[in-house]
Amino acid sequence: MSITSPAVAATTAPPTTSAPEIASVLVVTQASLSLVAGLSAIPFAIVEPGFRVLSLLTILVAIGMFWLARNLRRQRRWARRWVIALEALSLVASLLLTVLPIGAMRGPVPVLVNLVMPAAILWLLWSRSGRAAFKTARRSDARDAA
Amino acid sequence: MYDIAGEHASAIGAAIALLVIVWLVLRALSVLSHRRVGWAVALLNTYRATSAITKLAAVLMLVSGVIHLALIPSHEGITGVLFVIDGLGFIALGVAAFFTSWWRRPAVLWLVATIVAYVVWVIAGWETPDQIGIACKLIELVALGLIMRLAQPGRRTWPRRIWRAVAFPMMASVATLGIWVGGLAHPDALHAHAGALLQPVAAVATPEQRQAASRLLADTRASIARYQDPAIAIAAGFKPGAVSSADPLRHFENSANANAVLDPNHPQALVYAQTKHGLQLIGAMYQMKRAGQWGPDPGGPLTQWHQHEGICFSPFGFEFSFETPFWTCPLGSTSITTPPMLHVWIVDNGKLGPFAADLDKAVQKQLQGS
Repeated sequence: MSITSPAVAATTAPPTTSAPEIASVLVVTQASLSLVAGLSAIPFAIVEPGFRVLSLLTILVAIGMFWLARNLRRQRRWARRWVIALEALSLVASLLLTVLPIGAMRGPVPVLVNLVMPAAILWLLWSRSGRAAFKTARRSDARDAA
Repeated sequence: MYDIAGEHASAIGAAIALLVIVWLVLRALSVLSHRRVGWAVALLNTYRATSAITKLAAVLMLVSGVIHLALIPSHEGITGVLFVIDGLGFIALGVAAFFTSWWRRPAVLWLVATIVAYVVWVIAGWETPDQIGIACKLIELVALGLIMRLAQPGRRTWPRRIWRAVAFPMMASVATLGIWVGGLAHPDALHAHAGALLQPVAAVATPEQRQAASRLLADTRASIARYQDPAIAIAAGFKPGAVSSADPLRHFENSANANAVLDPNHPQALVYAQTKHGLQLIGAMYQMKRAGQWGPDPGGPLTQWHQHEGICFSPFGFEFSFETPFWTCPLGSTSITTPPMLHVWIVDNGKLGPFAADLDKAVQKQLQGS
């Protein structure tokens, strides 16, 4: 198949709509990891009352993140705002933990999960293409309403 | 709990080198296309026509491929052969993403097969999970999620919708659970139990080391005998730790002793067991100031320090759970790695001995019932 094959065009979406899609996939990944963290704390919650609360809270937040990811993909502006707020909070908390001498960030996995992923989502939603995708959605919403 | 295996560290360099090379190739193509070189213009146009989501998925597969190839020298036999096949497959699919229309389904199958194979290898004990392997699975999971988003919307039946909604979280859960089970079922020689990393030491103690260990035990026993009554310990500056229903042992810490190093007269903490008749002094705990800073071990393998890592501490007192392999804790809890510690048990600690990381379960049960 030649490099100028029309198949390329058939498999690709317009580049401007990719930012919300990529951000939603990253949010789904985060939600999946949070869901597992919440579920994995359940055995400890049997004897530790504090973890009953944290486990339930984590599972609920994970479900909320799946919902936010779905609405991010649908280019809902309120979902973008919520995700930006949550990711900024998560990033700030992770940076604080990095500074504290408690060994919270050691190695590539915690850096990828706690720093790179939230930073990438923020960058995608704040980037020119990200903002443009949500502005386009607002215009089409207004047109539909009219 | 999950470190970077020394022989796997080269994979990080390979991944960074790949990203630099990709950037340099794109710059070179840009320069050549400005000079109207035909094939460079065609390649650059193809690259620009590709959606960002496809580009990212392709780059992630290339990164995974390069990591697999970089790890071949540290994997022998069938695992090494599979790494060659896997690495080349990922690179082929990463390149195919730009030029073909058929790459998505093979890429999904390749990614799922790779993640499942890793889980099988880890559970079987043929591979020790470490941070490079786990980071690679994370990269593959994100690539899988991106490619799943590229799928054309088919018939919107409910089974399809449900499958699309649960497939990705289920894959992430399977990967997490498998790595966890494998790590717990096959801990390496330096893990006493989940979350406790042991100091590397020689296999056999010399006669001098045996004498030194006996001396440390005798000195510690003599020094802390005055704290049999917890009230005296509190008066001396030891602060009782939080009560936990999950842990019947209570540590009384003295921050004034923080700078002492394995000094029997200034232990960092006293350990009491909750018995039917109140708290009973059962040992002392020495602790260093920073994580990774192993203390002196006069008894060699007999006085092996340990540090707790991969622990999620709750803000509601002394409660903890284990971190997932992807380094996530329940919301509100904090991942903590403690500085190395050495317990000296002044009660008979059964088969584990006087310097073990843990109190023998049988001894603990006996104390609780006494």
